[in-house]
Amino acid sequence: MTAPVPDPKTGPSFAAQVEALRPQLMRFARSQLRNDAWAEDAVSDTLLAALEKPQGFGGQSQLKTWLVGVLKHKVVDQLRRHSREATILTLDDGEDLDESLFDATGHWRHAPQDWGNPEASFGQRQFFEVLEACCDQLPSTQGRVFMMREWLELETDEICKELQITSTNLWVLLHRARLRLRECLQIRWFAGRLEQP
Amino acid sequence: MNNLDAAMKILPTCQDVTRLVLESQDHALPPLARLQMRLHWLMCDRCRHFRKQAALMRQAMRGWRAYRDGDGG
Repeated sequence: MTAPVPDPKTGPSFAAQVEALRPQLMRFARSQLRNDAWAEDAVSDTLLAALEKPQGFGGQSQLKTWLVGVLKHKVVDQLRRHSREATILTLDDGEDLDESLFDATGHWRHAPQDWGNPEASFGQRQFFEVLEACCDQLPSTQGRVFMMREWLELETDEICKELQITSTNLWVLLHRARLRLRECLQIRWFAGRLEQP
Repeated sequence: MNNLDAAMKILPTCQDVTRLVLESQDHALPPLARLQMRLHWLMCDRCRHFRKQAALMRQAMRGWRAYRDGDGG
């Protein structure tokens, strides 16, 4: 394991750098998998792959970027392996937000607010923390499919295939996840910032 | 619950249009559905605001992905 070569990719310092990124990788894996044991496995697989095949790291990208790329594959492996449990709906997943948003004739109960031009805040750490907290608050199954779409950047047919669900089921889950995220951002980010149009 | 149901209606409701806006983030909608959304937006500022919110959320997710997978996170 400890080769006395000054190659930055094989020496103990490489292992230390990889290990140092473990907490961050754990957080990412947890936010996608919503299960500590699966996240632990995905991260361990990622670190093993990195230590066994350090030549996979070209060095032109950051170590973190490379590890996150590996992690995304390992996370999909976990989802595939546990697809049955990963798609069990909780009570929260079933709750239909449409009913609270629209009246019986399909009109908005409360008008959506104009969010203005918040693009500048999209580069702020503070905003990303709120966004992340909102994603973490999604019910498990909704959160999993939403993150598969937005973080893993999978197409909808790939998600259906990996999780063995129908496109109608997936679509309902994504629809609800997005409406919930919108509501959370409205409350936790935009409400305090838009007094004047 | 799919775009075909909404497309059958001549005048979609806000609820239908909301569904279509979110669905358009996953695949291209048929021309009729796109036309219905456009006509609806002409008359409905609430749905125009929602359309903008949905677009901003997409943009925010893109920024977040770059932030968390790169320097930040």
